[in-house]
Amino acid sequence: MADLARLDEYARLIVRVGLNVDRGQNLAITAYVEAAPLVRAVTRAAYEAGARFVDVWYVDEHVRKAMLELAPDEVIGWTPPWVLERHHANDVRGAALQITGHPDPHLMDRVDGDRLGRAQRREEAKVLLRQVDERLINWAIVAYPTGGWATEVFGEPDIEQLWEAILRAVRLDEDDPVEAWQAHVGRLTERARQLNERRLDAIRFRGPGTDLTIGLHETGAWKGAPEETSWGRTHVPNLPTEEVFTTPDARRAEGTVRSTRPLVVQGTVVEGLEVDFRDGRIVEVRADRGAEVVRGQVATDDGSKTLGELALVDGTSRVGQIGLVFFDTLFDENATCHIAYGAGFPDLIRAAEGVGREDLPALGVSQSTVHTDFMIGGPEIEVSGVEAGGAEVPLIRDDAWQLG
Amino acid sequence: MPDAERIDAYARLVLDVGLALEEGQTLEITTFPETADLARAVALAAYERGARYVDVWYEDEYVRKAMLEAGPDEVVGWTPPWQLERQRMVDERGASLSLNGHPDPHLFDDVDASLVGRSRKADLTKIKLDQRTTGKVNWAIVGYPTEGWARTIFGEPDVERLFDAIAHTVRLDEPDPVAAWREHVETLRTRARALDERRLDAIRFRGPGTDLTIGLHEGARWLSGAAATTWGLSHVVNMPTEEVFTTPNAWRTEGVVRSTQPLVTEGKLVEELEVRFEGGRVVDVKAESGADVVREQMEEDEGAKLLGEVALVDGTSRVGETGLTFFNTLYDENATCHIAYGQGFPANVGGAEGKAREELEAMGVSHSATHTDFMIGGPEVDVDGLEPNGGVVPLIRDDRWQI
Repeated sequence: MADLARLDEYARLIVRVGLNVDRGQNLAITAYVEAAPLVRAVTRAAYEAGARFVDVWYVDEHVRKAMLELAPDEVIGWTPPWVLERHHANDVRGAALQITGHPDPHLMDRVDGDRLGRAQRREEAKVLLRQVDERLINWAIVAYPTGGWATEVFGEPDIEQLWEAILRAVRLDEDDPVEAWQAHVGRLTERARQLNERRLDAIRFRGPGTDLTIGLHETGAWKGAPEETSWGRTHVPNLPTEEVFTTPDARRAEGTVRSTRPLVVQGTVVEGLEVDFRDGRIVEVRADRGAEVVRGQVATDDGSKTLGELALVDGTSRVGQIGLVFFDTLFDENATCHIAYGAGFPDLIRAAEGVGREDLPALGVSQSTVHTDFMIGGPEIEVSGVEAGGAEVPLIRDDAWQLG
Repeated sequence: MPDAERIDAYARLVLDVGLALEEGQTLEITTFPETADLARAVALAAYERGARYVDVWYEDEYVRKAMLEAGPDEVVGWTPPWQLERQRMVDERGASLSLNGHPDPHLFDDVDASLVGRSRKADLTKIKLDQRTTGKVNWAIVGYPTEGWARTIFGEPDVERLFDAIAHTVRLDEPDPVAAWREHVETLRTRARALDERRLDAIRFRGPGTDLTIGLHEGARWLSGAAATTWGLSHVVNMPTEEVFTTPNAWRTEGVVRSTQPLVTEGKLVEELEVRFEGGRVVDVKAESGADVVREQMEEDEGAKLLGEVALVDGTSRVGETGLTFFNTLYDENATCHIAYGQGFPANVGGAEGKAREELEAMGVSHSATHTDFMIGGPEVDVDGLEPNGGVVPLIRDDRWQI
């Protein structure tokens, strides 16, 4: 496939399946400046789908690094007011696309860990999390291959090989990618239905370095790929997506978990992460590398110390089959089971319906400006459902889905 | 000099001379994705000098093109409110850098010129012009080579050759560029003083296709590219700059003028532009290409049909020395004399500063959301000063400064 044709086809998939852009919608795209070719293709596809205005903001990690290293302390984590204004413009039925694919995953390696830990713009994160929570926007996160990212994955800047992997992960190698996505989304929806039927009380992960039990909400729901905005527009927030997920009871995580894949937090690679939970809260963070940036994030607020998401993925996932460590959460979380500390999704908990944001933590729904996924599944990890009576139901064994 | 080093030296020169950036300042940079290398170097050097915050906005011309080709008409020329808020971030003693270097000067060739003309974000330009013409910010416009731009000039994407040319025009090839700039700015100031002392009534341009007389204000001040902010910070607004300029009396331009260099505006190439003035107003616009984009701009508002600037440059200019047509106003206007339709600079006119829009118009100081320069000088064009009593003072002959 020629480069431009490939970009255009990817762009159309993003606009049709990921975002499902509606006629007359504004689309806000936030991307690394290195992703300009995809941004341009998506812009064109969005206008062709009837978008009213496509608003592009390019993030430059090199500029951000200079800020983190040299700027006065007061601007670390500061959100310029115009950034909020830009996002708020989307509150009324806007669409939003984020393009990942870090241009250089090691760029921030030598930046002071404490400043890096405070680098996230909280005011901005708050606005975006609210838009997602309240389903104000149809949004998606997709990836674009860069030289730095390819080097991280393959040891050399083989962008072509990374393209191949991404195309396979997002089913662009199918004759009719849109149709393939419809079938795939149906499968994930079925898994969510199976889990919802079981009304499990907890999920237990067991494997090397891991024995973690995560309590579930009585009125919690499992969900597969597609989302729906408050006005009924369906979209698929992650391309790729292989997960079914829920928001667990933030008060009921017990044990220890070891990450099974590296994760990149704000440009820093975290490896061999090990986290201890007691009464739902993170009480200790260890890592072979990058522990500080996780500790910085965990210290952000109350909710950053508790779990906001629990997701199940088995080895049949396209991402898992590719067999690569992508060093990018969007992909790696879809290769295997993962959990996220930080904000949960109140719309998954029936008991949280109509409850004010400030009252959610008391119901065990984590609230935070942070939401960081890390990967804890794999062939050596057994995943079981725990029923209210204590009986265990095998959910994943040898990396294969057991229900249904 | 290896590339990274040259980029870094250029970035520091931009901060030293162009912006004269101060500690604690917020700096906004507006640029293209294709010129990220210099934007990054400037951001880094700015933080090293104690900048509070550097906000880099990459405007994507290909995104704009997609909008013009496939977007609805209602958003053409619309500025999203956040972009206004962003620009206002530097209202209070901030710094503002326009870093150009078009990714492809021919990008909009196949787009309807009047559509391109309407796509300028008038609301954003208004804020920028206000900040810049009233000294609210220390600002500068600089350029950086891109492949597409180099291809337009040389027929091949020879970025290094373009960087060499740019380096010469901004005196980066001098052993001490900052000292060279100090001396150069002094030369321009001397020219401006000499013009002020003559108290000329008008400037006349004569050459092939050109016979234009531009009336000046009685209290006209000639200025150079060295400007000062309201709080007294000196900086150089264009790098390169070779001009001395004033804002003419907007109601006293008569005759016809033919451009001597192509002009790129709104990403559109305008060639062989010919403009006729009567009673200060543009009454006719012709061009070999791109006439529509100029006509659209002149429809913007009343002031867009009036002159806001007349600038004198002779053939000793560094830009002139390169012998290149850059297809970029920042450079080409510094190769030769030029005029601009649209917004004038109150600082050029005695008693005009701080005046409201209506008063300025009554005084004959053009007020507009547009300001577009085009080049009218060169070896074949004679420039004279006309004294109030009718005396004629040769200012430029054979492309050489005469006073």
